[in-house]
Amino acid sequence: MSSDPNQTPATPHDNQDVVAHVDSPPTLLIVYVAILALFAATVLISSSGMFGKYTLFVQLGIGTIQASLVGCYFMHLRHGDRVVILTALASIFWMGILFVLFMSDYMTRHRVIG
Amino acid sequence: MTTAVTTATPKIVPPPPEPAPAEPNYLNINYSLWGWLTTVDHKRIGILYLISITVFFLAGGIAAGIVRLNLLAPDGAIINEDAYNRAFTAHGVLMLFFFLIPAVPAVLGNFLIPMMIGAKDLAFPKLNLASWYVFMIGAGFGVWAILAGGIDTGWTLYPPYSSRSSQSNVVPGVFGVFISGFSSIMTGLNIMVTVHKMRAPGMTWGRLPLFVWSLYATSLIQLLGTPVVAITTLLLMVERVAGIGIFDPLIGGDPVLFQHLFWFYSHPAVYIMILPGMGVVSEVLTCFSRKNIFGYHAVAWSSMGIAVVGFMLWAHHMFVAGISYYSALLFSFLSMLVAVPSAIKVFNWTGTLYKGSITFQAPMLFALGFVVLFVIGGLTGLFLATLGTDIHLHDTYFVVAHFHFVMVGGMVLGYMAGIHFWWPKMTGRMYSDWWSRVAAAIIIVGFFLTFVPQFIMGYHGMPRRYPNYPQEFQVYNVMSTAGASILGLGYLLPSIYLTLSLFFGKKATGNPWSATGLEWASPSPPPPFNFDEAHMPVVVCGPYEYALGIDQMGRGLPEGPGLGTANDPSSKHDESSAPGPMNKETEVVG
Amino acid sequence: MSASTHSPVLKHHFEDLNQQHASERLGMWMFLATEVLFFGGLFGAYACYRLWYAAEFEFASSFMNVKFASINTVFLVTSSLTMTLAIRCAKLGDKAGIYRNLLLTFALGSAFMVLKGFEYAEDFHEGILPGASSFGVTDLKHNIKTDAEHAGLDTGKVRLFLCFYYIMTGIHGVHIIIGLGCILWLVQQNYANALPPDNYSTVEVVSLYWHLVDAIWLFLMPMLYLAGAHIKHVGH
Repeated sequence: MSSDPNQTPATPHDNQDVVAHVDSPPTLLIVYVAILALFAATVLISSSGMFGKYTLFVQLGIGTIQASLVGCYFMHLRHGDRVVILTALASIFWMGILFVLFMSDYMTRHRVIG
Repeated sequence: MTTAVTTATPKIVPPPPEPAPAEPNYLNINYSLWGWLTTVDHKRIGILYLISITVFFLAGGIAAGIVRLNLLAPDGAIINEDAYNRAFTAHGVLMLFFFLIPAVPAVLGNFLIPMMIGAKDLAFPKLNLASWYVFMIGAGFGVWAILAGGIDTGWTLYPPYSSRSSQSNVVPGVFGVFISGFSSIMTGLNIMVTVHKMRAPGMTWGRLPLFVWSLYATSLIQLLGTPVVAITTLLLMVERVAGIGIFDPLIGGDPVLFQHLFWFYSHPAVYIMILPGMGVVSEVLTCFSRKNIFGYHAVAWSSMGIAVVGFMLWAHHMFVAGISYYSALLFSFLSMLVAVPSAIKVFNWTGTLYKGSITFQAPMLFALGFVVLFVIGGLTGLFLATLGTDIHLHDTYFVVAHFHFVMVGGMVLGYMAGIHFWWPKMTGRMYSDWWSRVAAAIIIVGFFLTFVPQFIMGYHGMPRRYPNYPQEFQVYNVMSTAGASILGLGYLLPSIYLTLSLFFGKKATGNPWSATGLEWASPSPPPPFNFDEAHMPVVVCGPYEYALGIDQMGRGLPEGPGLGTANDPSSKHDESSAPGPMNKETEVVG
Repeated sequence: MSASTHSPVLKHHFEDLNQQHASERLGMWMFLATEVLFFGGLFGAYACYRLWYAAEFEFASSFMNVKFASINTVFLVTSSLTMTLAIRCAKLGDKAGIYRNLLLTFALGSAFMVLKGFEYAEDFHEGILPGASSFGVTDLKHNIKTDAEHAGLDTGKVRLFLCFYYIMTGIHGVHIIIGLGCILWLVQQNYANALPPDNYSTVEVVSLYWHLVDAIWLFLMPMLYLAGAHIKHVGH
């Protein structure tokens, strides 16, 4: 009934998505270099203090770009199915709920009413 | 010919043949303990959870009994203040984490979801078994904490008392909660992946039973909320064990931050508890009024709406804790919003009942009780969501009554409705109809007597978690304790007649309630892989086509026991014509 | 589709390999969502305090060892690359390639933990600790708590930052160790010939977890190490 497990799969029907979407090493290498370059940038920007009080937002922005590169290329979100992309976005959205509503308290706690 | 109830001409489809009893079924395929403890069959795992949570319900109920007995006298009738603190904490922790949160998802969800969508099992059967073991390990720590003397912080575990001052067994108890949270995440993840990827052919999202929609919404909350309480409990344990803590006011920490993190999960947790009950109600109301649900899409989207909006309300537990006024305003507004999808569901259930052919078997009694008690509980929540009145009512018995109305009057009745509805499917036996109706009536009466006096005394200012109170409140406390004993009797009855039914109950047919779901298409009890593997179900229509008299595979429905024959078109079938495979509406493709 | 042609790695409750792979992938992504919320709670707590105590947090962060953290970042990002290449080798049936890439990932992840160990040791010796005491370590080059007092900042809030530093890097480290264990398991699976192209999704699932741990570090590092990078210390 089943073929020798060391052989390649029996029917093409069983593994359509194996043949497709094999990563190309050059693409992966470019993404890798980009992530490290962004890292170098964030270290330099932070040390120089050139953005002053906005440094944190620049760091978070760079981090977001890096995480997006990891997500799209290393984690294959670029050709993920819809529900996988939805899961990834939903997790960010829910973390956003936590941040926004926590901040709504901590940013206004000092304000006196009346 | 009979006059049909619906405007459309009903298809008089003969009922399918009674499925041959499964040989073997999932229960008798083996009789060894090892077989049960190493099972990966979702149905057996559901039964394992059923037994476990029943034990914890009993333990939590005993703790409640101690609390209520103590409140008979204004100075504490049976235990001292310290023991009282441990008693109400044990009641809260046991009931919330070890009974209510797993109740419908882990028992009924595990058992029914694959059957309702026409699959052989959940997506990750071994993960499912692991979730039960993780649950039991967590419960083991919790029980250890209680047996070693208990925790006295309240189930909400607020620091700095819980992290610095409490001399009780905080770490084992909190560790138990931490571990059992992972079980909740595993169950939720399993259900979500199963519903996404393993639906039978023809089972589109728009044809899913509303029970599945509710459990999907519940699983979403379990997945996204529980990790936050995991990190919160971890931080609490680190502070208590290592003395380094981010909630310590001495180094600038904010104890209110713990409350934010804690309630970020614990408020959606109450929706984990109630949404599955709502799912059960949708199934039971449609079956026992022989009608399609009124507004299927509204109910489905409302479940999702409750799950999403429910994440944005948590600080209504903290209005008087010291959060900013502007933040409190925002949370108050958002808390009112969640009443909208809940109300939509209640209106739709009412619309379902309207002009239905209603019969009052026990599942229906429990489901109707749910609707009434949930409405009262939900409406009283609005008083608490309103900033001005909450200042007066916070930490009083009004709050206690409110959440018991929705959690006990709502969720526990929903769980009872589900157990009674699906008992024949799970065990292959029918229970005593008369005793089950009596038990439902006793529970509902006992419930009112227990918790209505609590609204009154809470409104008049009796604080919660206090073992001593002014003399004027004694009459209410005595009424409440009397009601609790009736409630206890009411819960005892099902444990007796359901157990007896296992040995003496009439053998159940595949579809004793004449319901339309896919789970009723297999024999009772079902075979190990739910359906005949060569003929897995194919779905052709929506889930509640009672008016058309067809189940989800397009076959007819059998005559239900005790259902009225006057208005029920399905009962006019000519039973003598031989039904057979030729009468199936669709070809099953394998 | 008849049973006689199904692959030996197909599990019984699934209809076909596509469904199995898609389910496993979705299951891991949903687990990653829980990890995002787990760390998200920590990050949210950190954000609240950083908002309130910006001066103390930046001051404390300036004592962190950016060099170690930068080397660790390179280790971790490279390990993500090799992990992705391991999936590629699994899809192509290149068993030797799977070994090579998995072992490289393991080596890089272990190097991360070793360097972290050196970093903690250095922090201990320099008295950069969240507790009130310095565990009896004397003749410190400079004591962060007294330095804070000299700078007119609240020592307690500096200690609060250090609580976050240890808790966040500690929990992240635990996740790395779990990941290393999973990679070793994959190596064992490869040895047992259980990673044919049909079953590449097993490698993919571990890889997704590893990438998330990497992505979390990419946020953790700036928040903990670069918050005070613009502050220069004498002799540090």
